[in-house]
Amino acid sequence: MARIGEVSPRVASSDALVRARARAALLPDLLVEAGRVANNVIAGWHGRRKRGIGENFWQFRPYVEGEAVSRIDWRRSARDEHLYVRDREWEAAHTVWLWSDPSPSMLYKSHLAPVSKESRALVLILALAELLSRSGERIAWPGVTDPFSARNGAERLAAQLMHAPELAARPDLMPVRRFSDVVLAGDFLDPVEETIAWLDQLARHGARAHLIEIADPAEEAFPYTGRTEFSDPETGDKLTAGRAETLADDYRRLYIARREELASWCKRLGWSYTVHHTDRPAAQALVAVHLAMSAEVGYQMEGSR
Amino acid sequence: MNWLSLSFAQPFLLWGLIALPVIWWLLRLTPPRPQSETFPPLKILARVIKREETPHKSPWWLTLLRLMLAALVILALADPVLNPREKAASGNAALAIVLDNGWASSPDWDERAATAARLIGDARADDQPVVLALTAEEQNQEIGPFDADTALERLAAARPRPVPVNRPAIYGRVATALEDLPGAAIAVLTDGLATSGDEAAFRQLFGGGPAEILWAAPERLTVTAATDAQNTAEAFEVTATRAGGDAAPRQVVAYASDDKGRRVAETVITFGTGAARGTGRMQVPFELRNDFVSVGIEGENQAAGLRVLDENTRRRRIGLLSQSEADQAQPLLSPLYYIKRALSPFADLVEPSSPELTEAIPELLDQKPAVIVMADVGTLPEAARRAIIDWVDGGGTLLRFAGPRLAAADNDEDLLPVRLRLGERSLGGALSWTEPQPVAEFPATGPFSDLAPPRDVVVNRQVLAEPSPDIVERSWANLADGTPLVTGVKRGEGQIVLFHVTPEATWSNLPISGSFVEMLRRIVQLSRNQGALAEANAEGGKALAPYRMISADGLLVPPSPEAEPLAAGDRAVTLKNPPGLYGSEEGVVAHNLLAPDAELTPLARPQAPAPMSAIRYGFDQQQPLKGPLFAAALALLALDTLAVLWLGGGLRRKPKLARGAAALLAAAIGLAMIAPDTARAQDERAGEAEAIDAISKTRMAYVITGNASVDATSRAGMAGLSQFLAAKTALEPGEPAGINIASDELAFYPLIYWPVDPAAAMPSEEAIARIDAYMQSGGTVLFDTRDQYSTGFDSSSASPATLRLREILSGLNVPPLEPVPEDHVLTKSFFILPEFPGRYRGSPLWVEASLNAPVRTDRPVRVGDGVTPIMITGNDFAGAWAIDESGQSLLPTVPNDPLQRLYAMRAGVNIVMYMLTGNYKSDQVHVPILLERLGQ
Repeated sequence: MARIGEVSPRVASSDALVRARARAALLPDLLVEAGRVANNVIAGWHGRRKRGIGENFWQFRPYVEGEAVSRIDWRRSARDEHLYVRDREWEAAHTVWLWSDPSPSMLYKSHLAPVSKESRALVLILALAELLSRSGERIAWPGVTDPFSARNGAERLAAQLMHAPELAARPDLMPVRRFSDVVLAGDFLDPVEETIAWLDQLARHGARAHLIEIADPAEEAFPYTGRTEFSDPETGDKLTAGRAETLADDYRRLYIARREELASWCKRLGWSYTVHHTDRPAAQALVAVHLAMSAEVGYQMEGSR
Repeated sequence: MNWLSLSFAQPFLLWGLIALPVIWWLLRLTPPRPQSETFPPLKILARVIKREETPHKSPWWLTLLRLMLAALVILALADPVLNPREKAASGNAALAIVLDNGWASSPDWDERAATAARLIGDARADDQPVVLALTAEEQNQEIGPFDADTALERLAAARPRPVPVNRPAIYGRVATALEDLPGAAIAVLTDGLATSGDEAAFRQLFGGGPAEILWAAPERLTVTAATDAQNTAEAFEVTATRAGGDAAPRQVVAYASDDKGRRVAETVITFGTGAARGTGRMQVPFELRNDFVSVGIEGENQAAGLRVLDENTRRRRIGLLSQSEADQAQPLLSPLYYIKRALSPFADLVEPSSPELTEAIPELLDQKPAVIVMADVGTLPEAARRAIIDWVDGGGTLLRFAGPRLAAADNDEDLLPVRLRLGERSLGGALSWTEPQPVAEFPATGPFSDLAPPRDVVVNRQVLAEPSPDIVERSWANLADGTPLVTGVKRGEGQIVLFHVTPEATWSNLPISGSFVEMLRRIVQLSRNQGALAEANAEGGKALAPYRMISADGLLVPPSPEAEPLAAGDRAVTLKNPPGLYGSEEGVVAHNLLAPDAELTPLARPQAPAPMSAIRYGFDQQQPLKGPLFAAALALLALDTLAVLWLGGGLRRKPKLARGAAALLAAAIGLAMIAPDTARAQDERAGEAEAIDAISKTRMAYVITGNASVDATSRAGMAGLSQFLAAKTALEPGEPAGINIASDELAFYPLIYWPVDPAAAMPSEEAIARIDAYMQSGGTVLFDTRDQYSTGFDSSSASPATLRLREILSGLNVPPLEPVPEDHVLTKSFFILPEFPGRYRGSPLWVEASLNAPVRTDRPVRVGDGVTPIMITGNDFAGAWAIDESGQSLLPTVPNDPLQRLYAMRAGVNIVMYMLTGNYKSDQVHVPILLERLGQ
């Protein structure tokens, strides 16, 4: 009887060398895939090339009655009969912190899904990195790199990741400043209280977080039957169920309740919470996160005006 | 090792059962391994699973299942056998089986045969020759020695016989056969009944010094035989005899059946303690008793359980007595003539040899008749009278008829039912005022009460009874005026009946009426039989054919081929004369197995010169249990697998398994449904495939002439035309079909192209007839003489092809012909053609003349019905149409003109279109009007 879930062998060992090599093998693939995904989405992504608060000239436009007189560019207006306003390009240095859960539980992959959760999370994050850096945002990875802006942000981030030492299960989020966006991809399977306690400092800093819950379909559907011994990939704890199918309903209720609680907490803070199943295309989650972020951007723009 | 009729071939393997506790301990210790799964949300799951489930042990029933499995395997390996039997005889040089297959062995014949088969089986194992003798068979039967297989075959063919066993003769033969086989074992399979000569027979059988004797006899003799049946005055008595030595009181049911096998009476026969004989009485009406054909013992399925009855118990013997010996010359006037005619079908008639009454009456009485008919006998001599009176008192029926002598005689009280007046009474006639009297309704009290009175009978003369107080109850029939016509009275156990008229038709016409027969028969039926007669039977000394035989299982069956006629006086029951009824429908003689005084004595075990061991009859019930035990173990194993799957949740987790099984099942069902299809396909008729082939596409057909070049040209021509048709028209013909007009079905083809070849053999008359039928039924034959340029310029001369065509056409019903007229449909059916050239040009195309079709100027096409059944040309169409594989024309046209070939092709198209569409083109003239109507 084939097992339903397995731990992806890629990062199963604690051996740093093996992991680094495996990651090196993975990352180019992921980058390519991320680039492909980002290209799909770029049409719907309106970059920052628009007027706003910034240093550089963007455009002259006719003065509209009711606007602040101080915004009139008199030098331009003197040339002809019309009044012009000088718009500047919006150059709000927006920093997006990206993070994907490196914990062993993310390595889980069931036969219902094509990839492991970690793989999917990394793809998503790198795809975001690609998108963001293409639109000129500053991206960062807590505990790995400070915010930077580069066209090849995804590559740089990947390289940074490759050379990073052991990643903490929960990185220090202290560097995240106000108005920053934080994209967190993980399975958030820890008790909700712990997760909230960890993310609370983000809220206190005034950052906005986008949580992407990467879930394997097997984790949600619980297709186990019969006598089954469950083991936790993180702690190694084992649990034996005599007839697993009898537990399915109770388990599913608790599993969904955790998600609901976390999602409602996020909603209260104005954060987005996206659930992504690994058997769905990565682009789906990417679009959802993109929507959430662009909506937020729009909001920020309104606020900055 | 024998234990509860269970033995083990390898009992030491049973020690393996000791290992069971160890297996149990092992099974208890190793629980089924859980499915191991990595599961990241374990913390959430942990909240669901409150307590940790750690079954260290498998469920008790699974352990039990596996223990049983192990125990079954161990038991099966020990090779157990249920109801084992030991080998009866072994190590002897040969085996002689003498098997009783007489009537007494029928009930449990199968057991006996099985016992014999078992013995033969043992002999086969030891490779011994077998002597097999059946004691009820003919003495000259083949007894072997056989090899075991032959003996088994012969045993399978052996059947119990409804005859007694003949031990002395058969044993003698066996003893002779055993002389060549010293040291043989003798198995005596008896039926347990003693017969005469048994002792000597056994001495003879054991005389050769057998190595071993096996003795088999039924443990209990349960046969009961119906040994006697007597039709007594009050009841029908059935006597049954059971085998001696059966001491317990017992009741059996005896039944009597009529000739249709219907059970008409039953009685219970009770055997007292120790009694071997019991009698039961069937108290049924006399008429019914005479219907009895057989009596049997209920549940006795052997020949002696059924006893057939014959006239001795049924038919009456009737003595006829008359004093008018002189009348013999004129039989119609003989007083006994009508009586004989009336009685002979259902009674034995006995006449004394002497007319002298003193001699005749004792002679008659010696034959113990049931009835004595006295036709106009007056006074009897005293000795004879005494004898008659005693006989009547003893149960005889005296039937007297009146006549001049009786009328003149004195009244004899003892031999007349009523007192008679002297003289007779004359009714009608010249000197009488009275009219002849008819017969009145029969009195309800008399024996004739249910007979219809004879309306047409009149009595002219009678003797009159003195009136007496009991005259009414003695009157069995009266005249219309109330005077008795027939009177009767019981005397002792018998009766006396008097007809007050003569037995011939002088006094009345009663003797020549049907009622006379009825009345006599009724009286005879009322009479009682006076005992069986040993020798006399209806055919009197002739051999009697077998009529109904008693089979070995006690049923009346038609005679077997080996039954032979029963010679008179032959009372021995043999295979040639098996028990049963002999004779014919008119009269039968019972040939019974057992004499009335027969006894069924158990057969004593004889003294034997060799060790004698008893064996039992019985089926071979030995049954090896190894297979069933292994099967049970396998079933348990399957159960165990299912249980493990269920415990491991595999049944739910593997929907693919179920799908696979369903797919397999569907495939199997599909196969099963396909199988009959193939079976059906095999039953198609010969030539069906060709027929389907011929009609599934329109095909151009040509006649195979036998001339290879002509046929090749025809085929190529048809192919060329087909190609042209496919290119130019909507018709896409199939492959050209070459047909043999003598054998192939023609009806499939609309057009048959027939190149007339004078070199080929003239078609047979049958073939011509087939062509004729084809043309009559709507087909068209295109004859092509291909001789346009070979006929010469002389129109009177004809080419050989034309001559041959004329010869062919002489056998056909050819309609009047004409060259295709200008306005014929053929000229317009696809292309507009003024002429029909082929390789040659100039020969007209002859078609059926449309004589009656009116030529109308407003129509471009002659209107006519039907399609011409025949076309004749000399232009060699096929030569013009012929193409090779590459599509190139084969033959040049004459003259070589490409346009002519095109026209030839078009001619072919027109012909084919005409064939297929008929005269529909002639309707095209309506098109302008139709279009106009449509508003175009």
